[in-house]
Amino acid sequence: MSFHKVPRRSALLVMALALAVPNLGAAQDDPKMGGTLKISHSTRIATLNVLSLSGPAEYPVIDMAYSGLTRIGPDSQPMPDLAESWEGSADATEFTFHLREGVTFHDGTPATASDVVATYEAILNPDIPASAASVLNMIDTVEAVDDLTVKFSLKTPFADFPTSTAHANARIMSEEALAGDHAMLDTVVNGTGPFKMESYDSARITRLVRNDDYFIEGKPYLDAVEMHLFPDLAAETTNFLSGDIDVMLLVQQADYERISSAPGVNALRVPSGRYVNVVMRFDQEPFNDLRVREALAYAIDRQLLVDLVLEGLGRPAHDNILSPEFKFRIDTPEKNYDPERAKALLAEAGHPDGLKLDLVASNRPAIRAQVAIAIKQMALPAGFDINVETMPHDTYLANVWRKGGFYMAYWGMQPTEDATFNLLLTSNASYEDTGWMNDEFDALVQACRSTTIESERADAYTKAQELMLAELPYIIAFYEDVLTASREHVQGYTLNPINRYFYLESVWLDE
Amino acid sequence: MTLGYLVRRLLAVILVLFVVTFAVFAITMILPGNAAVMILGEYGTEEAVAAMERRLGLDRPWYVQYLDWIGGILRGDLGQSLRLSLPVADVVGDAFWNSASLAVTALVSVTVIAIPLGVLAAIKRGTVADLIIGVFSYIGASMPEFVTATLLLIFLAGPALGLFPAGGFVSPGESLGGFTSHVVLPAATLGLILTAHISRQVRSEMSEVLSSDYIRAARLKGLRERRVIRRHALPNSLAPAVAVISLDIGYLLGGIIVVEEIFAWPGLGRLLIYALENRDLPVIQAITLVLATVYALSNLLSDIVIAILDPRVRYA
Amino acid sequence: MPKAFRTATGTTGLGLLLLVMGAATLGPLLAPYDPQAFHPAARLQGPSAAHWLGTDQFGRDLLSRLLNGAPSTVYFGLGATLLGVGAGSMIGVIAGTAGGWLDSVIMRILDGLLAVPELLFTLLIVTFLGGGMGQAMLAVAIAFTPGMARIARSSVLSIRTREYVLAAVARGERSHYIVLREVLPNAVGPIIVEATIRVAFAIMIGATLGFLGLGAQPPSTEWGLMVAEARQFMFRNAWTVAVPGVAIAMAAMGFNLFGDALRDSLDPRRSR
Repeated sequence: MSFHKVPRRSALLVMALALAVPNLGAAQDDPKMGGTLKISHSTRIATLNVLSLSGPAEYPVIDMAYSGLTRIGPDSQPMPDLAESWEGSADATEFTFHLREGVTFHDGTPATASDVVATYEAILNPDIPASAASVLNMIDTVEAVDDLTVKFSLKTPFADFPTSTAHANARIMSEEALAGDHAMLDTVVNGTGPFKMESYDSARITRLVRNDDYFIEGKPYLDAVEMHLFPDLAAETTNFLSGDIDVMLLVQQADYERISSAPGVNALRVPSGRYVNVVMRFDQEPFNDLRVREALAYAIDRQLLVDLVLEGLGRPAHDNILSPEFKFRIDTPEKNYDPERAKALLAEAGHPDGLKLDLVASNRPAIRAQVAIAIKQMALPAGFDINVETMPHDTYLANVWRKGGFYMAYWGMQPTEDATFNLLLTSNASYEDTGWMNDEFDALVQACRSTTIESERADAYTKAQELMLAELPYIIAFYEDVLTASREHVQGYTLNPINRYFYLESVWLDE
Repeated sequence: MTLGYLVRRLLAVILVLFVVTFAVFAITMILPGNAAVMILGEYGTEEAVAAMERRLGLDRPWYVQYLDWIGGILRGDLGQSLRLSLPVADVVGDAFWNSASLAVTALVSVTVIAIPLGVLAAIKRGTVADLIIGVFSYIGASMPEFVTATLLLIFLAGPALGLFPAGGFVSPGESLGGFTSHVVLPAATLGLILTAHISRQVRSEMSEVLSSDYIRAARLKGLRERRVIRRHALPNSLAPAVAVISLDIGYLLGGIIVVEEIFAWPGLGRLLIYALENRDLPVIQAITLVLATVYALSNLLSDIVIAILDPRVRYA
Repeated sequence: MPKAFRTATGTTGLGLLLLVMGAATLGPLLAPYDPQAFHPAARLQGPSAAHWLGTDQFGRDLLSRLLNGAPSTVYFGLGATLLGVGAGSMIGVIAGTAGGWLDSVIMRILDGLLAVPELLFTLLIVTFLGGGMGQAMLAVAIAFTPGMARIARSSVLSIRTREYVLAAVARGERSHYIVLREVLPNAVGPIIVEATIRVAFAIMIGATLGFLGLGAQPPSTEWGLMVAEARQFMFRNAWTVAVPGVAIAMAAMGFNLFGDALRDSLDPRRSR
């Protein structure tokens, strides 16, 4: 029972390996065919409805069973999936996708342009709950030019469109399934992906088997993939270490060291743009005052937060919502822990005796409350008297989420700058929750949509970030790494930092 | 025990189940948030939530939803799970059998261990054996299941010993060995608290009987002690033990909720917590019905057994 | 001191009870450190001179957290039981004294409520109240009410036919006088015994709710929540879960033993 410090050196090595894996991919050595890959996960696969699912363990299943028009590759760029190529008009308002020939759904029916049209019409239908709708709402019309060509017309120019079509909840379903009872989509899967559903038991095991007609010749290598549910993290870790399981989908920071140092295990640490953000409403006291927001920003020791809450498995952030993985991310000035400066800012803002505040955190996942409690402790010397109020997730969703004035949010990484800003920060962002509503920022983000010229986009995104850092809509203290682990005989397993794409068709077992 | 008594008891149970389900329903409707909000989570825009509510039928007035549900129950249809989109009967049915396999294992092993322990403690009253059993039973009765479970996990499933899997489930049909190794820790957790209760009760009843006049009379007749205990004392202290066991089924059904959650046992308890977290009303209702029915039936059964064991008991 | 408390059981119970109540009352004052203060250089340590019971994942002192959490754990049990016993006794006494149709209606409802296992009942209530310490306490109290009512009623019934009550009725005393002066004082014994043992149970349920995330919420130092928060680290520092876990068991054991001794002293026939 002694104090373990995370050994940085070995972790970095693993990181390097993680980055190298995509290149090794399938090609190196001769992949062996066959075998069953067992993956453990700790959250239920509650639904298989591609349109609306959002569970961490649900994404790998639909990534195996379905294909999108495009897909985000290990390099975070859009890559061909059901569409083998695409082109956009010069003004970025029209996009044409060319589908692969001879692709069939798992039930044998051919996958054609009309299925793509039906899928996108379902996503855009306001009567159908669809998570991808907010990312694809710039679509004006979608039409099948012929059996293998689909043309999208957009309401506004949008240069990143092929990234949007890779949205994890925008996979192509069959026209027939969409015309039927949508309740069936929850349990019945008919996709074009590398694996087809064999059995689905949301309480224990979901099993997929090889799709022999997959459109990439020779893939997948595995005969079957099983998803095993362990709702208790301790149980999941122990079972993985005992060798019963090949891949542990998500590793907790607290267990990472123990897992990575176990024999026969490859722990994978992928730097990601995942973050916990402190939401401060611009239209309520006291955060309507920039100086109060800045005071809080200087009252947080970001490196200590990474060490304590993430066990060192992340990087300190300085309130930029874009992590270093983003192409147009600017060098962000560091905010060092400075309680004196925070105190002075508070006094300037009219709170010389400090501020008493209630900070709300959902109790799921635990990281939200942990960050809140750490912030409370760190901000004490600066004069912030923060009372952390933790509550069950359902209560939080119903009463606080997008309503409260001061609370903890938690987001995964988005594929593009545009998707990130339009998720939260622009005035008409899908989940706008600060009341910032800055016209200049909106215009800059909009400007980037209509141009494909790199320098113009870099310029506008730079200005947008500078504006954001100056106005400080969120406090973002760190970027959290994505952690996963596999047994040594598992080859070609890799993760994308967005953590929505798993490339399991390229995995094989060296046994 | 009269037939009328049985019928009255059953009617009371049915009435209460009705009241409880109605109460659960009404309270859920008053509270903010619902299954649609939980399904979509933070990715739910207002439009998406509204669309999801329409799909799940949550946009209808509460009394329509309740009547719909009650109508289904009367036809033997438990409805659809909101979160899992599967028939409630399937989801709850599977979980029920998994829970039953755990509960029965725990109950049988407890009965086999606890009654002899209690008898032993009563016969050896005042000895070291009695003291040890007494201390053990107090510790057992004072440890919440989650504490016992966590300590068992650390010491028996931890990296040091690793004697048992740290959780999970294998059905007995799949592999009996797998089932056994997985069932040991959860059953032991449940068993500790039950063994404590039951052995204590048996000891105290047995002690009372042993000091009674007819046992003294039996001894005076010159019967051997073994025979005195087996033929006279034991049968007379069994009825109260059965009463305790049936009461303990209440504890067992509660304990199972926690134990299944910790040991990842796919039974009713874990399903209930999942359904509560997700506001999956039809599943919550069905599990409440099942657990309450099991509890009521086991109470009834124990009353019948007691009446048979102890002819002095009369129910009217 | 009553004879029953001079037994090993009684003495241990009384000792544990004093220890637990002492911690619950004075604990927060005795804590050597601020229970919320981080000590980043001393994370997940075992017992040492500086930290007698070790530290948790933020380097917070476990002894200080334990002492600080004693009131919210122990007074939770006392409060919930008191509420449940109060409401239950009232209903039971009313039913037992009134008799007739009111008695049967109340009894049928109680029978029904008792058909739902207690922890399930508590879980249902607390989920719908929204989780949290106060809600959990109320939920446990509500779950305790039917059982307590039944005990109160039966003890009233056994007293109602005794001479002194019959005498009061014969004297023509008004019914609330009879209830308050004759019935209640004599029904109190069994109720207190039951209540003491229930406190142990309430402490255990409260901790269980905290563990499940439905009771106390972080950064509370309630003991069940302490176990839940430390579970992720249990293989790295078993003290983080063992300390609060054993404390819960000790608190519950104190009330269990004390309650049994109390019962024996009130009912010498059962003493053994």
